[in-house]
Amino acid sequence: MQLVANLKSAEQQPAETAIEVANLTHVYAGPEGGVPALEDISLSVGVGRFVVIVGPSGCGKTSLLMMLAGLRHQTSGTVLCYGRPIPDPDPTRVGVVFQEASLFPWLSALDNIEFPLSLRGTPKEERQRRAGAMLTLVGLDGFGARYPHELSGGMKQRVSIARGLVQDPPVLLMDEPFAALDEQTRMTMGHELLRIWNATRKTVVFVTHSLTEAVYLADEVLVMSARPGRIIDRIAVTLPRPRNYEMMATDVFGRLRDRIWQQIRKTA
Amino acid sequence: MRRPAPSTVRWLMLIAVLALWEIVPQFEIIPELFLPSLSKTLTVLYQNRGTYFAALLVTLYEVGFAMLISCVGGILAGALIGGVALLRSLFLPIFSSLYAVPIVILYPIMTAWFGVGSESKIMFSGIYAFFPVMLTAAAGIRTIDPAFLLAARSMGATRQQMITRVIIPASVPTVFTALRLGGALTIIGVVVSEMLTSAAGIGYLVTLNRTILDSPRVFAAILMILVLAVAYYMIARSIERRFVVWQSAGRKQQAASRDAAAGVPAPQPA
Repeated sequence: MQLVANLKSAEQQPAETAIEVANLTHVYAGPEGGVPALEDISLSVGVGRFVVIVGPSGCGKTSLLMMLAGLRHQTSGTVLCYGRPIPDPDPTRVGVVFQEASLFPWLSALDNIEFPLSLRGTPKEERQRRAGAMLTLVGLDGFGARYPHELSGGMKQRVSIARGLVQDPPVLLMDEPFAALDEQTRMTMGHELLRIWNATRKTVVFVTHSLTEAVYLADEVLVMSARPGRIIDRIAVTLPRPRNYEMMATDVFGRLRDRIWQQIRKTA
Repeated sequence: MRRPAPSTVRWLMLIAVLALWEIVPQFEIIPELFLPSLSKTLTVLYQNRGTYFAALLVTLYEVGFAMLISCVGGILAGALIGGVALLRSLFLPIFSSLYAVPIVILYPIMTAWFGVGSESKIMFSGIYAFFPVMLTAAAGIRTIDPAFLLAARSMGATRQQMITRVIIPASVPTVFTALRLGGALTIIGVVVSEMLTSAAGIGYLVTLNRTILDSPRVFAAILMILVLAVAYYMIARSIERRFVVWQSAGRKQQAASRDAAAGVPAPQPA
């Protein structure tokens, strides 16, 4: 009885924060003092949450994601990942999945997944074991020896996800990972991503143009304005999990998508 | 009716050219002085095989050393100029404009400096092919997909790992393109310089026999150069296919899907 009560209180506690961004502003160097790209961004992502950032093209959402990954540096403000700044990429804390297939064409799928491990000199056996497990996780058992050009667009992005997860980082950042895929594959991959997320319980920050994708995937949607990018709305997606395709036809889904659209339209 | 495969057509065209080469002089449509028949040319080549083989060895020796300058030197210089922004801004405009200079004007200087032996051919053809190889390699390094570099950085690659694990493997296709181009241009450079001033090599045999109006011997030498150049190209291409699996296979796959899209029927067993 005591145990159950403890568990309950633990559940009700506010979740630990994985990512904390405070007053982040970014200005691109340029003539006349530069171009403001991001303006006073503050956000916080709880551990294990799935947060989606949407916004019009050029609003700086990819830049913001690159700053969360330590791949780019903001002009001012702070980015904390598990309480520590991230001045350089750290694949043990943050994995990144990119928009286009950024897989190396000269490596097989398995070698691509092993790549981050081989950079840090992980022994061959452990590399193979972990990469193999990732391949299974993303549903590509038996495709390890294939080269990227022998894989479909969806399969390539599965490999990218496996590569982002292979060092078991608590945070996964995804920059429009399914943008280049056709509509059907994109829906399937969204669903697959939720399955993988559910199996690994990572904290995910996902950038997209697609409002349907945003609502389908997210716990919370952050809507950004046109340049300079600001966060103009935070929408909690209350749809139950696990999500399924039928939910897309519901009123709740439609209302959420419509609200995001209205917000984006106002600023564009 | 099904269209024959392009490779079949190519072979048929080659056979047609060779047949014409045999038939046209046989019927004296063109005098033998201008075009000796294929069989006559081959006969002369066989009768003088000692001379021609010795000349081929000289030419191959010169091509081999010249390729050290043009291909090895050109690719290394191209990698530096393509990869280092400072060097690029200093040298690329100079080398790009030098590209238009007919390098053959340097050959008399080469013979003055290095004599009429193999050294002047090696230096001239090495320099002649160096610039195109270097510019190709530099362009290739610069066009490496930035997505690869960003991905490697996100995975925590150090600067050195970026070079050895990403930039070098990503440059392999460019290196092969540069090698193919460089080898072909080096052969041209060697043969041209042998034809201008020399005492040995296949190019020398062309000029020598031309002055004494011995057409079959001229054409025997031309045929040898032709075979040499085509053989180089085919060997280079097949090595490239083996090393750059992802590229040639990618192209094959694209071609296959194009064919499928265009409704080209798959070849059927007869």
